[in-house]
Amino acid sequence: MNILALTAVRACSVIALAFGCGTAVLAQAVQTVTLPLETARLKPSKLAGYQIAMQKCGICHSADYISQQPPAMTAAQWTAEVRKMEHAYAAPLSDGDVAQIGEYLAVTYGGAKPTLGPVAAATPAPAAAASPGAPAAEVDVQAVLKSNACLGCHAVAQKIVGPAYHDVAARYKNDPQAQARLEASIKAGGSGKWGPVVMPPFANLSPQELKALAAFVLKQ
Amino acid sequence: MNHRDEHDALRRVFLQRAGLGAAAMGTLPLQAFAAGHETLPFGNGERELVTYPGKRPLLRVTTRPPHLETPFSAFGEGVITPNNAFFVRYHLANIPKRIDAAAYRLRVGGHVKQSLSLSLAELKALAAPVEVVAVNQCSGNSRGFFEPRVFGAQLGNGSMGNARWVGVPLRAVLEKAGVLSGAKQVAFNGLDTPVLPKTPDFIKALNIDLALSAEPIVAWSMNGADIPFLNGYPIKLIVPGYFGTYWVKHLSEIVVMDHDFDGFFMSTAYRVPDNACQCVPAGTAPTATRPITTLPVRSFITSVAGGARVPAGKALQLKGIAFDGGSGIRKVEVSEDGQQWRDATLGKDLGRFSFREWSFDMTPQRKGEFKLLVRATNMQGDVQPATASWNPGGYARNVVETTRLLAV
Repeated sequence: MNILALTAVRACSVIALAFGCGTAVLAQAVQTVTLPLETARLKPSKLAGYQIAMQKCGICHSADYISQQPPAMTAAQWTAEVRKMEHAYAAPLSDGDVAQIGEYLAVTYGGAKPTLGPVAAATPAPAAAASPGAPAAEVDVQAVLKSNACLGCHAVAQKIVGPAYHDVAARYKNDPQAQARLEASIKAGGSGKWGPVVMPPFANLSPQELKALAAFVLKQ
Repeated sequence: MNHRDEHDALRRVFLQRAGLGAAAMGTLPLQAFAAGHETLPFGNGERELVTYPGKRPLLRVTTRPPHLETPFSAFGEGVITPNNAFFVRYHLANIPKRIDAAAYRLRVGGHVKQSLSLSLAELKALAAPVEVVAVNQCSGNSRGFFEPRVFGAQLGNGSMGNARWVGVPLRAVLEKAGVLSGAKQVAFNGLDTPVLPKTPDFIKALNIDLALSAEPIVAWSMNGADIPFLNGYPIKLIVPGYFGTYWVKHLSEIVVMDHDFDGFFMSTAYRVPDNACQCVPAGTAPTATRPITTLPVRSFITSVAGGARVPAGKALQLKGIAFDGGSGIRKVEVSEDGQQWRDATLGKDLGRFSFREWSFDMTPQRKGEFKLLVRATNMQGDVQPATASWNPGGYARNVVETTRLLAV
C-alpha cells in the first residue's frame, strides 16, 4: 500500500541496463528468501470458537503467538484481544465470532470456564440431510465458501494467503485424480503444496459439500 | 512455578540437535527443524530454536509473520551482534520474498519540491557514506518479564542487537527532493504489506526536525555486508537512539507531510504513557499517551548466564554491555546487595549509540547462591531504576537486572 498515491516505479531492470541507473549494484544477485513451514497448531477444542479461530486467525498470522501468551489471562482479556484483531487489524470477524474465539482462547489457553455453552452437535448440511445421494450441483457453493470463510484466504484469480483457485485448477488440469485429491486436501488441510502457510482442516464439510467445492475450484 | 523467583534462573537449553543448524542450511528442506529449545524464565516461555535463511538458530516467536529473537548467549560473543544472530521482527505477513537490487527503487514524495525515484546507485551517490554503530532494540524487548503480564510478543531480553551501519544521511535524500516549508513529519514505508487490504500498513513517522538532523541514515550495509534479507535488504532506515519500530525494513517510500501522520502504528500502537517514567500503576490505563521514542538506559551481564556455577574463592571477571538513547554511558556499577555499588571499568567507546562494553573483577567469597546487580548511568545522569515500572504495552523496560549465580 502506498502512503500517498505516488506512481509505482518498479520496472527498471531493462532501463537500468540501458541508462546505467543501477550500474553500481548490478553485480549483486537477486536475493530471495524461502520461509520454513508452519508447525504451530491451535489446540483442538469442542468449543465453537475453535473452528472459527482456525478459519479466521490463520489468514494473517500463524498460531505460535497464542500458546506463548501469559498463562492466566482472563476471558475478558482474551476477548478484548480478539476484538482488537477485529477493530484495529480488520480481521473479518463478527461480534459473535469475537465472543466465541475469546471464549475458546480463554478456556483452552487461560483455564477459564466456558460460559457460552458447548458447541452444538454438527448439523448435517441441508443438501446432505435432504437427499444423501444428491448431485454436487445442489450444494450452494457460494454459501459454503462464505460460511467457512474460504474467501478470507483464497480468491479466484489471485493469491491471498492460499493459492488462487485458478492456479489450483491449472495445476491439477491433467490429473485424473484431481477431484479426489482436492476433496481430500480440503477435508484434511495441510501445508507445503503451495507454500509454508497452513490451511486448516474442514472436516465439518459433508461429502456433498467437499465434492461441490472441489468441482467448483477445478472449474476456475 | 513461581515466575518471579525464576526471573533470573538458569536458562535451560537443551541442544537436542546442536550443530546441525548451520550445516543443514545449504540443503534448505523448507522445514525449519528445531535445533533445540530454550526456556525463557517466565510462564509459557518455551521457545524452539529454528534456523531461517541467513540466520543461525534463533528463538521462534512466530513463523508468520517472521519473528525471531536472539538467544541471549550471543551477546557474550562480542559487542557487535553478528548479522546471522540479529533478531527479526515483521508485523505483517506479506513480506517480500524476492528482491532485485538492480530494479529497486526508493520513492520520495509528498510535501517536497520534486518527487524522486532513486535507484540504489543513485541513493549511494547522494552523499559521502556515513557510518554509525547503533543499537536496534525492540520496543517490547523484555515484555515477558512484565508483572502483571501483558499481551503481545512475549520477548526475553534478546530482541536487541548492535551493528555497524553504513548509508547516506536521511537528510541528503530529503534535501535532494527539497522539503517545502511547513513540513511537520516524514513517513516511512517498506515493502512488507498486510494480508488483508483493510489491515493498516506498517508505516512509521519521524518529526521533521529529527528527520533533517544528522543522525538518521538510509543504510545498505550492516557489519560490512549487505543487510540480511530478513533485516530489511537492500536498505533500511536507521534511527540511532530510537526504538526499532522506526527502523523500517526494505525501505521503499518516504513521504514528507505538512501534518502529523495518523496511521495505526503511530496513532494507536507503539505508544507509551505521556509522562517522565512512561509508566502507570500496574494494571491501569494511561490518561494520555505519546509515540515511543528513545531507548532508556540499560545494562546487562553477558559473560555469565543466571544460574551458572562459578568457583568460590577464585577471581571472576564479569563482562557486560550498557547502552542508552544516545547520550552515551557515563558509569556502570555492580552490586551484590543493591546497597553497596562498585564501579565497573568501561571498555572501548564505539560511539554514543553503541553497546558499551564493561568489565568488573571480583572474587566470590563464600560458597552458595549470590546475586549480582548491574546498573548503568548515562551522560544525562539518568540511572536505571531499582524497581520495574509498568505500562500496558509492555514497552521500554529498563529496570536494574539481577543475575543469580552459584559459587561452588
